[in-house]
Amino acid sequence: MTKTLPKYPRILGIALSTRGLGFALLEGQNILADWGLKAIDGDKNNGSIARVREMIEHYEPDVLVLEDTSIKPFRRSTRIRMLTKRIIFRAEKRNVTVLLFPREQVSRTFVPDGHGTKHQIAQIIADKFSDELGFRLPPKRVPWKSEDARMDMFGAVALALMPRSFISAVLLSIPPVDREQVLRDRG
Amino acid sequence: MSSPQLPNYLKANRKRLALSQDEVAFLLGTRSGAKISRYERFAREPSLRTALAFEVVYKRSTSELFAGLYQKVEGEVTERAKILSERKDFGKPSSQSVRKREAFADLAAS
Repeated sequence: MTKTLPKYPRILGIALSTRGLGFALLEGQNILADWGLKAIDGDKNNGSIARVREMIEHYEPDVLVLEDTSIKPFRRSTRIRMLTKRIIFRAEKRNVTVLLFPREQVSRTFVPDGHGTKHQIAQIIADKFSDELGFRLPPKRVPWKSEDARMDMFGAVALALMPRSFISAVLLSIPPVDREQVLRDRG
Repeated sequence: MSSPQLPNYLKANRKRLALSQDEVAFLLGTRSGAKISRYERFAREPSLRTALAFEVVYKRSTSELFAGLYQKVEGEVTERAKILSERKDFGKPSSQSVRKREAFADLAAS
Protein backbone atom coordinates (compact mmCIF):
# COMPACT_ATOMS: atom_id res chain seq x y z
CA MET A 1 0.00 0.00 0.00
CA THR A 2 1.39 3.40 -0.91
CA LYS A 3 0.79 6.39 1.31
CA THR A 4 0.68 9.93 -0.05
CA LEU A 5 2.46 12.35 2.21
CA PRO A 6 1.38 15.97 2.49
CA LYS A 7 3.63 18.60 0.91
CA TYR A 8 4.78 19.69 4.36
CA PRO A 9 4.51 16.56 6.50
CA ARG A 10 4.72 16.71 10.29
CA ILE A 11 8.08 15.09 11.07
CA LEU A 12 9.12 13.60 14.39
CA GLY A 13 12.87 13.05 14.78
CA ILE A 14 14.03 10.72 17.54
CA ALA A 15 17.67 10.37 18.62
CA LEU A 16 18.14 7.37 20.90
CA SER A 17 20.94 7.42 23.44
CA THR A 18 22.28 5.75 26.55
CA ARG A 19 20.33 8.21 28.72
CA GLY A 20 16.98 7.99 26.96
CA LEU A 21 16.04 9.99 23.89
CA GLY A 22 16.03 13.40 22.29
CA PHE A 23 13.07 14.42 20.16
CA ALA A 24 12.09 17.19 17.75
CA LEU A 25 8.86 17.87 15.92
CA LEU A 26 9.02 19.83 12.67
CA GLU A 27 5.97 21.22 10.99
CA GLY A 28 5.15 23.32 7.92
CA GLN A 29 8.14 24.99 6.35
CA ASN A 30 10.63 24.07 9.06
CA ILE A 31 8.70 25.25 12.10
CA LEU A 32 10.04 23.67 15.26
CA ALA A 33 6.82 22.76 17.07
CA ASP A 34 8.37 20.83 19.98
CA TRP A 35 11.75 19.59 21.11
CA GLY A 36 13.37 18.20 24.19
CA LEU A 37 14.91 15.33 26.08
CA LYS A 38 13.33 12.37 27.82
CA ALA A 39 15.55 10.74 30.40
CA ILE A 40 14.47 7.15 30.98
CA ASP A 41 15.15 5.35 34.26
CA GLY A 42 14.92 1.60 34.79
CA ASP A 43 13.89 -0.43 31.75
CA LYS A 44 15.23 1.93 29.08
CA ASN A 45 13.81 0.15 26.04
CA ASN A 46 10.26 -0.25 27.32
CA GLY A 47 10.40 3.27 28.78
CA SER A 48 11.61 4.72 25.46
CA ILE A 49 8.93 2.87 23.50
CA ALA A 50 6.25 4.19 25.87
CA ARG A 51 7.50 7.78 25.38
CA VAL A 52 7.61 7.43 21.60
CA ARG A 53 4.12 5.93 21.59
CA GLU A 54 2.84 8.88 23.67
CA MET A 55 4.43 11.35 21.25
CA ILE A 56 2.99 9.58 18.19
CA GLU A 57 -0.49 9.60 19.77
CA HIS A 58 -0.21 13.24 20.81
CA TYR A 59 1.35 14.77 17.69
CA GLU A 60 0.16 12.32 15.00
CA PRO A 61 3.28 12.77 12.84
CA ASP A 62 3.26 11.81 9.16
CA VAL A 63 6.92 10.77 9.28
CA LEU A 64 9.17 9.37 11.99
CA VAL A 65 12.91 9.72 11.44
CA LEU A 66 15.49 7.59 13.20
CA GLU A 67 19.18 6.85 12.81
CA ASP A 68 19.85 3.84 10.60
CA THR A 69 21.61 1.52 13.01
CA SER A 70 21.65 -1.51 10.72
CA ILE A 71 24.73 -0.54 8.69
CA LYS A 72 27.84 -2.61 9.37
CA PRO A 73 30.21 -2.17 11.10
CA PHE A 74 27.68 -1.44 13.83
CA ARG A 75 28.33 1.85 15.61
CA ARG A 76 25.49 1.55 18.09
CA SER A 77 24.96 -0.92 20.93
CA THR A 78 22.77 -4.01 20.61
CA ARG A 79 20.23 -2.38 22.92
CA ILE A 80 19.85 0.69 20.69
CA ARG A 81 19.66 -1.47 17.54
CA MET A 82 16.91 -3.62 19.08
CA LEU A 83 15.10 -0.52 20.31
CA THR A 84 15.24 1.05 16.84
CA LYS A 85 13.67 -2.08 15.32
CA ARG A 86 10.91 -2.10 17.93
CA ILE A 87 10.13 1.59 17.38
CA ILE A 88 9.97 1.07 13.59
CA PHE A 89 7.57 -1.83 14.10
CA ARG A 90 5.33 0.18 16.47
CA ALA A 91 5.32 3.28 14.25
CA GLU A 92 4.48 1.38 11.07
CA LYS A 93 1.64 -0.35 12.89
CA ARG A 94 0.24 3.14 13.50
CA ASN A 95 0.60 3.98 9.80
CA VAL A 96 3.48 6.41 10.36
CA THR A 97 6.08 6.45 7.57
CA VAL A 98 9.51 5.64 9.00
CA LEU A 99 12.68 7.02 7.42
CA LEU A 100 16.17 5.94 8.45
CA PHE A 101 19.34 7.89 7.82
CA PRO A 102 22.84 6.66 8.66
CA ARG A 103 24.99 8.95 10.79
CA GLU A 104 27.40 9.58 7.86
CA GLN A 105 24.58 10.83 5.61
CA VAL A 106 23.36 13.21 8.32
CA SER A 107 26.90 14.50 8.74
CA ARG A 108 27.35 14.97 4.94
CA THR A 109 24.06 16.88 4.74
CA PHE A 110 25.11 19.47 7.28
CA VAL A 111 28.87 19.56 6.67
CA PRO A 112 29.55 18.85 2.98
CA ASP A 113 32.98 17.24 3.48
CA GLY A 114 31.26 14.58 5.62
CA HIS A 115 33.64 15.02 8.53
CA GLY A 116 31.40 17.25 10.61
CA THR A 117 31.46 16.71 14.35
CA LYS A 118 28.27 16.50 16.39
CA HIS A 119 29.08 19.93 17.80
CA GLN A 120 29.47 21.45 14.31
CA ILE A 121 26.07 20.06 13.32
CA ALA A 122 24.55 21.30 16.58
CA GLN A 123 26.04 24.75 15.92
CA ILE A 124 24.42 24.87 12.45
CA ILE A 125 21.08 23.85 13.95
CA ALA A 126 21.41 26.40 16.77
CA ASP A 127 22.00 29.10 14.14
CA LYS A 128 19.02 27.95 12.08
CA PHE A 129 16.67 27.89 15.07
CA SER A 130 18.43 30.60 17.06
CA ASP A 131 15.29 31.74 18.89
CA GLU A 132 14.38 28.24 20.09
CA LEU A 133 17.72 26.49 20.46
CA GLY A 134 20.44 29.13 20.39
CA PHE A 135 20.62 29.35 24.19
CA ARG A 136 20.56 25.56 24.62
CA LEU A 137 23.73 24.80 22.66
CA PRO A 138 26.16 23.14 25.08
CA PRO A 139 29.82 24.14 25.12
CA LYS A 140 32.17 22.15 22.92
CA ARG A 141 32.94 18.82 24.55
CA VAL A 142 36.34 18.36 26.11
CA PRO A 143 37.91 14.88 25.80
CA TRP A 144 37.88 14.16 29.53
CA LYS A 145 34.15 14.83 29.95
CA SER A 146 31.15 12.80 28.76
CA GLU A 147 28.85 14.20 26.12
CA ASP A 148 26.28 16.77 27.21
CA ALA A 149 22.74 15.29 27.27
CA ARG A 150 21.46 18.24 25.22
CA MET A 151 23.34 16.90 22.19
CA ASP A 152 20.58 14.25 21.84
CA MET A 153 18.09 17.04 21.26
CA PHE A 154 20.23 18.56 18.51
CA GLY A 155 20.67 15.06 17.07
CA ALA A 156 16.89 14.69 16.92
CA VAL A 157 16.49 18.07 15.15
CA ALA A 158 19.18 17.03 12.63
CA LEU A 159 17.26 13.82 11.92
CA ALA A 160 13.94 15.67 11.61
CA LEU A 161 15.51 18.03 9.07
CA MET A 162 16.84 15.15 6.98
CA PRO A 163 13.75 14.28 4.87
CA ARG A 164 13.61 17.80 3.40
CA SER A 165 17.38 18.03 2.99
CA PHE A 166 17.28 14.64 1.33
CA ILE A 167 14.59 15.76 -1.14
CA SER A 168 16.57 18.96 -1.88
CA ALA A 169 19.73 16.91 -2.45
CA VAL A 170 17.90 14.60 -4.84
CA LEU A 171 16.50 17.60 -6.71
CA LEU A 172 19.93 19.22 -6.97
CA SER A 173 21.29 16.09 -8.61
CA ILE A 174 18.66 16.37 -11.41
CA PRO A 175 19.36 18.69 -14.41
CA PRO A 176 17.51 22.06 -14.12
CA VAL A 177 14.96 21.39 -16.91
CA ASP A 178 13.94 18.04 -15.39
CA ARG A 179 14.02 19.58 -11.93
CA GLU A 180 11.28 22.02 -12.92
CA GLN A 181 9.20 19.08 -14.11
CA VAL A 182 9.80 17.23 -10.83
CA LEU A 183 8.81 20.31 -8.84
CA ARG A 184 5.64 20.72 -10.95
CA ASP A 185 4.77 17.05 -10.39
CA ARG A 186 5.27 17.48 -6.66
CA GLY A 187 2.71 20.30 -6.72
CA MET B 1 -1.53 20.17 0.80
CA SER B 2 0.00 20.35 4.26
CA SER B 3 -0.84 18.56 7.51
CA PRO B 4 -3.42 20.36 9.65
CA GLN B 5 -1.69 22.46 12.27
CA LEU B 6 -1.51 21.44 15.92
CA PRO B 7 -4.35 22.87 18.06
CA ASN B 8 -1.88 25.18 19.80
CA TYR B 9 1.83 26.03 20.03
CA LEU B 10 1.90 26.98 23.70
CA LYS B 11 4.56 24.44 24.63
CA ALA B 12 6.96 25.52 21.87
CA ASN B 13 6.57 29.16 22.84
CA ARG B 14 7.09 28.44 26.54
CA LYS B 15 10.25 26.47 25.74
CA ARG B 16 11.41 29.27 23.44
CA LEU B 17 11.42 31.60 26.44
CA ALA B 18 12.84 28.92 28.81
CA LEU B 19 9.87 29.33 31.17
CA SER B 20 8.47 26.63 33.45
CA GLN B 21 4.77 25.77 33.55
CA ASP B 22 4.57 27.15 37.10
CA GLU B 23 6.11 30.46 36.01
CA VAL B 24 3.61 30.78 33.14
CA ALA B 25 0.79 29.87 35.54
CA PHE B 26 1.90 32.68 37.86
CA LEU B 27 2.06 35.17 34.96
CA LEU B 28 -1.44 34.13 33.91
CA GLY B 29 -2.75 34.44 37.45
CA THR B 30 -3.68 30.77 37.85
CA ARG B 31 -2.78 28.62 40.83
CA SER B 32 -0.63 25.84 39.37
CA GLY B 33 1.23 24.67 36.31
CA ALA B 34 -1.15 21.72 35.96
CA LYS B 35 -3.63 23.92 34.10
CA ILE B 36 -0.87 25.04 31.70
CA SER B 37 -0.01 21.38 31.15
CA ARG B 38 -3.63 20.65 30.21
CA TYR B 39 -3.63 23.51 27.68
CA GLU B 40 -0.34 22.29 26.23
CA ARG B 41 -1.62 18.71 25.95
CA PHE B 42 -4.71 20.00 24.09
CA ALA B 43 -6.85 18.58 26.92
CA ARG B 44 -8.46 21.92 27.68
CA GLU B 45 -9.15 25.15 25.79
CA PRO B 46 -8.38 28.39 27.64
CA SER B 47 -10.86 31.19 28.21
CA LEU B 48 -10.60 34.36 26.12
CA ARG B 49 -8.94 36.15 29.04
CA THR B 50 -6.32 33.41 29.38
CA ALA B 51 -5.75 33.30 25.60
CA LEU B 52 -5.07 37.04 25.61
CA ALA B 53 -2.73 36.61 28.57
CA PHE B 54 -0.81 33.99 26.55
CA GLU B 55 -0.55 36.54 23.74
CA VAL B 56 0.94 39.05 26.17
CA VAL B 57 3.43 36.54 27.65
CA TYR B 58 4.60 34.94 24.40
CA LYS B 59 4.30 38.07 22.22
CA ARG B 60 2.55 36.11 19.47
CA SER B 61 -0.96 36.69 18.13
CA THR B 62 -3.73 34.45 19.49
CA SER B 63 -4.42 33.05 15.99
CA GLU B 64 -0.73 32.13 15.74
CA LEU B 65 -0.59 30.55 19.21
CA PHE B 66 -3.81 28.60 18.62
CA ALA B 67 -3.21 27.99 14.92
CA GLY B 68 -4.96 24.62 14.69
CA LEU B 69 -7.95 25.80 16.69
CA TYR B 70 -8.09 28.96 14.54
CA GLN B 71 -7.96 26.81 11.37
CA LYS B 72 -10.84 24.68 12.69
CA VAL B 73 -12.99 27.66 13.69
CA GLU B 74 -12.25 29.37 10.36
CA GLY B 75 -13.43 26.26 8.49
CA GLU B 76 -16.64 26.09 10.51
CA VAL B 77 -17.41 29.80 9.98
CA THR B 78 -16.71 29.45 6.25
CA GLU B 79 -19.17 26.56 6.01
CA ARG B 80 -21.87 28.59 7.79
CA ALA B 81 -21.15 31.60 5.58
CA LYS B 82 -21.66 29.40 2.51
CA ILE B 83 -25.10 28.43 3.79
CA LEU B 84 -26.02 32.10 4.38
CA SER B 85 -24.60 33.26 1.03
CA GLU B 86 -26.77 30.70 -0.78
CA ARG B 87 -29.89 31.98 0.98
CA LYS B 88 -32.37 33.72 -1.31
CA ASP B 89 -34.42 35.67 1.25
CA PHE B 90 -32.29 38.74 1.58
CA GLY B 91 -35.38 40.92 1.32
CA LYS B 92 -35.75 43.90 -0.97
CA PRO B 93 -32.58 44.77 -2.88
CA SER B 94 -31.01 47.61 -0.99
CA SER B 95 -27.49 48.83 -0.34
CA GLN B 96 -27.66 47.02 3.02
CA SER B 97 -28.65 43.63 1.55
CA VAL B 98 -26.00 43.96 -1.19
CA ARG B 99 -23.40 44.70 1.46
CA LYS B 100 -24.55 41.71 3.52
CA ARG B 101 -24.47 39.38 0.50
CA GLU B 102 -20.93 40.56 -0.29
CA ALA B 103 -19.84 39.92 3.30
CA PHE B 104 -21.20 36.36 3.25
CA ALA B 105 -19.68 35.67 -0.19
CA ASP B 106 -16.34 37.02 1.01
CA LEU B 107 -16.41 34.82 4.11
CA ALA B 108 -17.51 31.78 2.11
CA ALA B 109 -14.62 32.23 -0.33
CA SER B 110 -11.94 32.47 2.39
